[in-house]
Amino acid sequence: MDYAIQQILNALSFGAEYALIALGLAIVFSIMGLVNFAHGEVIAFGGYSMVIIGTVLTGNPFILMGAVLIACVLVSVLLERVAFRTVRKADLTTGLLTAFGVSIILQNAFLLLGSPRPIPATQFIFLDRTVLVGSIQVSSLQIYETVATALAIVALMIFLRRSTLGLAMRAAALDFEMVRLCGLRANRVIATAFAVSGLLAGLACIFIMARRGAVSPHMGFDPVLTAFVACVIGGFGSLPGAVLGGFLLGAVEVGVLVLLPQSYGSLAHAAVFALVALILVWRPDGILSPAKEKGDKI
Amino acid sequence: MNPSQRRGLLGSALLSLLVLLIVGAYYLWGETWQARVLYATFVNLLVVIGLQVFTGNANLTNFSHAAFMGIAAYAAAICVTPVAMKAISLPDAPWGLNAFELGPWTSALVALGITGGLGLLTGVFVARLTGVGVTIVSIAILVIVHSIFLHRTDIFKGNQALFGIPKVLDLPQITALVIIAIFAARWFRESRFGLQLRACADDEIGARAMGVNVFRTRLIAWVLGTLFFAVAGIAYAFFLGTISARPFYFNFVFLTVAMLILGGLRSVSGAVFGTLLISIGLETIRWLETGPQIAGLKLPQMLGLSGLMLGVVIVAVMALLPSGLMGNLEIEDLLRRRKRAETPEPR
Repeated sequence: MDYAIQQILNALSFGAEYALIALGLAIVFSIMGLVNFAHGEVIAFGGYSMVIIGTVLTGNPFILMGAVLIACVLVSVLLERVAFRTVRKADLTTGLLTAFGVSIILQNAFLLLGSPRPIPATQFIFLDRTVLVGSIQVSSLQIYETVATALAIVALMIFLRRSTLGLAMRAAALDFEMVRLCGLRANRVIATAFAVSGLLAGLACIFIMARRGAVSPHMGFDPVLTAFVACVIGGFGSLPGAVLGGFLLGAVEVGVLVLLPQSYGSLAHAAVFALVALILVWRPDGILSPAKEKGDKI
Repeated sequence: MNPSQRRGLLGSALLSLLVLLIVGAYYLWGETWQARVLYATFVNLLVVIGLQVFTGNANLTNFSHAAFMGIAAYAAAICVTPVAMKAISLPDAPWGLNAFELGPWTSALVALGITGGLGLLTGVFVARLTGVGVTIVSIAILVIVHSIFLHRTDIFKGNQALFGIPKVLDLPQITALVIIAIFAARWFRESRFGLQLRACADDEIGARAMGVNVFRTRLIAWVLGTLFFAVAGIAYAFFLGTISARPFYFNFVFLTVAMLILGGLRSVSGAVFGTLLISIGLETIRWLETGPQIAGLKLPQMLGLSGLMLGVVIVAVMALLPSGLMGNLEIEDLLRRRKRAETPEPR
């Protein structure tokens, strides 16, 4: 029983992390059709800014958390302005490749200016403690992570449903041209999408840093690859889909690790991706995406 | 043969001439170490031409080429390595993999067969998808194959080198392979299927309405592309003598995709030019990366510079020249255009 609860909590916290990152990808995709592979480098940038601010200014973890969030939002908006604005009207492949290019540039910039080896930054480690709930030992980080993700999803929902800008963003996901015709600035809507996506990346960055305690140039790549998969499973561009996909993937990953014998641990990744490929063949547009006629958007 | 196929032959001949000129220049003035660079460039060229067949004509991004190349390289390497050598390099291999050896030709055919078969199997799934779906399934293939390479260390040695592969091919043979590949890719582009595939890329519904079987066309291109990657993988293993799982992953994927989009997805000439340009550029940057001395000035060692430039090339090309250097043009179109510009237009 204890073991089962522990594994469920594992699955929830894995899923929460994927869901956070997947939401960041989905919110940008839903509005401008960009598969933002550079999202992982936004996370890594948050980590590096934490290292810099942590050594130069202050080691206070709560100020640092704020700084990481601000840094991620800023770099995300900056990337939109510098790189993604030019390909806004281009087709999917162009956007995807541009994002890959940006991701490579940032990774190598970290490599060039930082170090190929991980740089320690342990200010957030205190979040990860073992606590006793009843008779079960759990990691406090997993609880924080699950709760924070749930709060972030609720906050995002309120923002999207109650504010004008949120309404505009939801409308833009359906028909961007129409939103512009109604008198809303395209640049503002898209910049907000990138800011929200950066904020979610910053949140993910805090938890990743609390777990790893070090930054490295490629730290964002693997989580984003998995989150990308989560988006696809849920239905690309669908926000509930991204959350569902994230938690589903967390459950699958923990399930694979629990069910497969120890020696097959390295194949967990392969199993997850194989599952994704099968889901895509079954429903090419993802689980939660509405059935769409091929000619709809032309 | 229709006119565009005739022009295709001319264009392929021109591109082959370019390749031959480069090889000739090497034999006249080159140094021995440059043979390795040239060989690597030609292996990349085979991959990029193969990418053009599916990614270029169908305009669907494929990232799985490194996986297929790896499968072919390992299959060929395991078949061709002598038994005595395999006793050392693969002592624990299951299913008697270390108890037989085949000739280079048979090994290459086995590798082609295995890769082609897997290409057909995956193609049945991929050809049903559109847009991002193709990219994601191709990434899934790449990750799955890489995980298997790393997991089955008894067969693939993981990140360690599988060594003792006899050196079968050299510069003349790969030059011939590249020329065959150029003709084949161009032939495919101008063939019925290539035309149908390009039509699907431009307007899928329109193409369907005209009676194009989208699934079959994409499947054919996917499998054909896989065979190109297989040839590249075999050529890689047969020259280098050792292979490991590391090169068949994302870095190589980025490199080759950058080469393809710099030249322009839609044309075979673009694939060739992009590969040559990026290869030359990278060699220069690699030299800068080691921190050489220029005019008495010692430059610092700069790791990651080549990757940085690769990213800059991708972003700049996508922002400024979304269809690459060549766009929809082939090499013979460039020449014809110049001719037309020189002779005044009749009024």
